Amino acid sequence: MPEEMLVAKGVEAGYPNKQILFGVDFSVGRSEVVALLGANGSGKSTALNTISGFVRPLAGSIRFDGAEIAGMPPHQIFRRGVIQVSQARDLFPDMTVEENLLLGAWVRGGETATLLEGLYRSFPRLAERKTQMVRLMSGGEQQMVAIGRALMGRPKILLLDEPSGGLAPTFVNEIAAIIATLKKTGIAMVIIEQNIKLALSVADRFLILRDGRVTQRHDISAGAADEKEIVRSIYL
Amino acid sequence: MRPRASPVLRPAGFDPHGAGPVLALFPQLVVSGIATGMLYALIALSMTVGYRATTVVNFGHGDMVMAGAYAVFVLLGSGMPFLPAMVLALALLFAFGVLTQRVFMQPIIAGPHLSLAIMALSIGYAVRGGARLEWGSEVTTLTRPYPQDAFMVGSVVFTTDDLVISGVVLGLLLALFVVFHLTPIGRLIQAIFQSQRGAALVGINVHAFHGMMWGAGAALGAAGGVLLALIVPLSPDMGVWTLLRGFAAMTLGGFGSLHGAVIGGLLLGIMEKLLGFYVSTVFIDITAYLVTILVLLIRPSGLFGRQASIRV
Ligand SMILES: Nc1ncnc2c1ncn2[C@@H]1O[C@H](COP(=O)(O)OP(=O)(O)O)[C@@H](O)[C@H]1O
Ligand SMILES: [Mg+2]
Repeated sequence: MPEEMLVAKGVEAGYPNKQILFGVDFSVGRSEVVALLGANGSGKSTALNTISGFVRPLAGSIRFDGAEIAGMPPHQIFRRGVIQVSQARDLFPDMTVEENLLLGAWVRGGETATLLEGLYRSFPRLAERKTQMVRLMSGGEQQMVAIGRALMGRPKILLLDEPSGGLAPTFVNEIAAIIATLKKTGIAMVIIEQNIKLALSVADRFLILRDGRVTQRHDISAGAADEKEIVRSIYL
Repeated sequence: MRPRASPVLRPAGFDPHGAGPVLALFPQLVVSGIATGMLYALIALSMTVGYRATTVVNFGHGDMVMAGAYAVFVLLGSGMPFLPAMVLALALLFAFGVLTQRVFMQPIIAGPHLSLAIMALSIGYAVRGGARLEWGSEVTTLTRPYPQDAFMVGSVVFTTDDLVISGVVLGLLLALFVVFHLTPIGRLIQAIFQSQRGAALVGINVHAFHGMMWGAGAALGAAGGVLLALIVPLSPDMGVWTLLRGFAAMTLGGFGSLHGAVIGGLLLGIMEKLLGFYVSTVFIDITAYLVTILVLLIRPSGLFGRQASIRV
């Protein structure tokens, strides 16, 4: 088990008059990729948003790099290197690709030009489209911009919410390749996916969330997971 | 708008309702309409800034406009020269706007929009109540820091009031344009206007920004109030008047659109003057309502609207 980076314990969270998470425990080690699986509405996005500070936890603890981050506002959690690529992507639609990417580096600062160059090298498609308005791009391209923008913030841990969601099959493969490349760089990730094949291809471990509770945990290195079995435990 | 009696007399023998001069007066009406419209544009823009940041219409905004005018009035009374008084008044209103947003609006921001609207309205009423206590029964005016004069270019009369108001508003618009489009801060503001959630995802403190934008809106509105007080008497109720004009201009231009607010304000100013002269003076007071009603019925998104509807 690698050194733990993110540790969530007994997290309860939700929305006014509607609790969604009922005591979620999980941890992510340095350089580890953890997949969060579950049916629609099982609370995956809520869990990710609770880590990022968009949803305030009602109870429990979330520690990142040893410090308690539960209840902090999103911008403070971001500054610690916890960066989310949200399900809706939430890009700046009337700005160019490059403007979006640069805004990703706004807060953390640093060697922005070098960072951008590096990003263009690993995402040549973004380099080609850098002057294009984001609102005019396809869903797959937008997803790449969203991932690129998050990387510009130099994340210590990347939280990906359904990166392949709603994309055409060619793009799903491209996104899968990007995530696999990211994994090789050693960045820690939490990935929510409906595409179980994609999730299993990059994850070291996965958990299944059901009605706001973790119902299953599986260490992939301990033995291959049976995809059909997983689907059954998610939906049945 | 009810300007104080202008010292300029019409040329001798001038009959505004004679057949020939009626059309001849058209350029004059447009010119005075533009000066008034500039004022509406500034007020509509100041409302839009706060609205775009928080998606909450500040129904108390008119009272910020009023408070700005009175702040300058008080500071002038203490012997301060006009320009420093105006700068200080804008700074005070900025701080007041930030404070209102952070203390009263932010804690309920997740609640229903109606609560937010009522909160903003109540804050405005409180400010107005305070002004009524102090100045409820007196009619006060701001002393112009420039000579009141007028001159003719061709057949059109320009007053110094028209020029000062248009000049100050144009200067402010230009400054805002430069900040918005050519500075890093402007890029940040644009980003937040385009996607609040996106801004939060890149680590921007969106809450702090909300406060700043309410402050900026209040300060801009206060600038409008000071300019307005150059041509109409000060009254604790002048906010109602401004809020309605601001709304009409915003609706016409397209609710939430920055340049729409400016263009809507200018058009409203010109329409008031034209309808008021060619149709009936009644229109000077009701054009704003008519415009609001017609635009909402016929083209709810206005001229440059991004959204088809206004959520309160
Ligand atoms: N902002 C919100 N306000 C109220 N309820 C919400 C909100 N976001 C999500 N929910 C509800 O929370 C539950 C879990 O949603 P979510 O975490 O998005 O699930 P998942 O990502 O697993 O599909 C759903 O029932 C959803 O309707
Ligand atoms: Mg989700």
